[in-house]
Amino acid sequence: MLKPHSWPRISLGSSNPNTYISLYTSLLPNRPFTTTPILPAKPLPPRLKINDADLTISYLKGTGPGGQKINKTNSAVQIIHAPSGIVVKCQATRSRSQNEKIARSLLADKVEAQEKGDQSRVALKAEAARKKKASKVKKARRKYRDLDLEKGGEEGASGDLEGEEVDVEGEDGDVNVEERKAENGSSEKGLST
Amino acid sequence: MPRLSTSLLLKAYQENTLLPLLLKECRSLDSARNELRWLRERALRDAQERSHFRQDQDQVTGTHIGWRTRLRAMCHRRSQGVPLQYLLGDQPFGDLEILCRRGVLIPRSDTESYTYEAARLVRQMALETKDNNSPTPSQPHKAKSLRILDLCTGTGCMALLLHALLASHFDRIQITGVDISPIALNLARRNLEHNIRLGGLDSRARVDVEFHRADVLRRNNNSSNGIDTSGNAIPTVEELLLSNLNLTTQSEIEHTETTTTLPKIDLLISNPPYISSTDFHNGTTARSVRLFEPKLALVPPIDIPATTDTAHSIGSKGDEGDNDKPEDIFYRRILELSLDVRARITVLECGDRMQAERVVGMVKGMNSSGSEGDNEGEGGGGGLKVEVWPDTEEDCLSNGFHVRDGSSVTIDHLTAAAASVGIGYMVTWLH
Repeated sequence: MLKPHSWPRISLGSSNPNTYISLYTSLLPNRPFTTTPILPAKPLPPRLKINDADLTISYLKGTGPGGQKINKTNSAVQIIHAPSGIVVKCQATRSRSQNEKIARSLLADKVEAQEKGDQSRVALKAEAARKKKASKVKKARRKYRDLDLEKGGEEGASGDLEGEEVDVEGEDGDVNVEERKAENGSSEKGLST
Repeated sequence: MPRLSTSLLLKAYQENTLLPLLLKECRSLDSARNELRWLRERALRDAQERSHFRQDQDQVTGTHIGWRTRLRAMCHRRSQGVPLQYLLGDQPFGDLEILCRRGVLIPRSDTESYTYEAARLVRQMALETKDNNSPTPSQPHKAKSLRILDLCTGTGCMALLLHALLASHFDRIQITGVDISPIALNLARRNLEHNIRLGGLDSRARVDVEFHRADVLRRNNNSSNGIDTSGNAIPTVEELLLSNLNLTTQSEIEHTETTTTLPKIDLLISNPPYISSTDFHNGTTARSVRLFEPKLALVPPIDIPATTDTAHSIGSKGDEGDNDKPEDIFYRRILELSLDVRARITVLECGDRMQAERVVGMVKGMNSSGSEGDNEGEGGGGGLKVEVWPDTEEDCLSNGFHVRDGSSVTIDHLTAAAASVGIGYMVTWLH
């Protein structure tokens, strides 16, 4: 694959980076890859800010001697949000501070989901992903239906045309049903996660 | 150590055949899973890097090792007790990534917590001095310069993290890390470069942070005792400070006295060896630590103190020094140093509450002996204050002690609940 830095750099005696950029862009075809207009994504609501005073952060550790005597690799962080009672634990990385950051953002998401329900960032993101997936499935089905249609057309070139049309209608109906099924499935998944 | 139950081992084996190996060292399924994940990530990353850089070479020599083989090898070594950090080569410390290798103590997360706390104290102190100095505008810049001494620095983790946390608050910052081990010093310097490259440290750390070799335990004998130390390869801390700090900061310090005056240090921080030789052998110290981490960094040497104490220290100190437990010898020496350099804050890591209280006793004894003259009784205005920062979880919760809790931190002196074994950290500060 061609990467921008592997392109030959044309220098016209000036080291001004702007000339380089303009040349670079002029080499590219000035048209988008798709013909559908790119719609700006709906902005998500701002992240919820959680008051530090509401949080109880603890580093989970075993009992017994500590310090130099042992070398524990567990750096789990647990945060309790007092007003809502939500508890989040994170041990994804080996770094305490990283774990704390992750736990904080997870907690913010959870608290927001509890407060706002469908209008929270997580729910909106899940909804957007679900829609995208549904449209992808739909497009895929349409594509294979058309392919099948062509194939069927070649096979049934000697047959009569009316029968074919009936077939197409039947297929279409099936596809719709399946699509609906797929949608239901994904929405259930979205809820469960 | 209790035996691992067969059911646990079976359960682990069913989940992943490598998990029982890790269980030997981790003791719980949860942390074994975590370690397996980190090891796998590392093995995959290594394999990817190798395939990028050495593809041709491997094809010629046929030495290509797949990530699965590598992962299995790492798990076997871990089951023998090799610390995870030595296998992976690094350990996160705050926002820094500290490289680790055999022969140098691995940074602990407890150390990380109190380094944050120490940095907070330093900032607070700087603010207070600024307020005090505001009516006299002659020295407002003084609050803006900071000198830190880190004794027994090892990987350099505390020195580097303090720089990362404090550099933006001070115009001038000078951090000296001291260690006796050349391996540790090399690693500390590598860590400095490594973290500058990663972006965790500002590039001015190259100038601000220095690592030097010195023997913390060996006492300085100024001309009064007349013993020539120039032939000795390892200087004492005093010699180091005189030869090093003074040269670089001559413009700042007003030299009313001779060059034997040690430069003033704002923060003295240290994580010295503090494990007693009994604790090292009786099972209190984890197998992996005992077998694979350097004893030099864990157990204070036994043969040195008696002779040095009687030879050249002030009478009262020497007598007290003889009563010290062998695992405490570093503390007395460091406390003396902290008086000599007029450290405003001293932070020391201790093994447990009992040790912390012994150190507090030491401080009080040294303070009442009054040999240094520049501090009044405990609790007196501008005098000496000693705190033990508890580390057990209950203590943390009851005291609200947390690394980033900002203003709400109040630590009781020695009155903290729960006498369970944990780490006590000790702070003293002098004016």
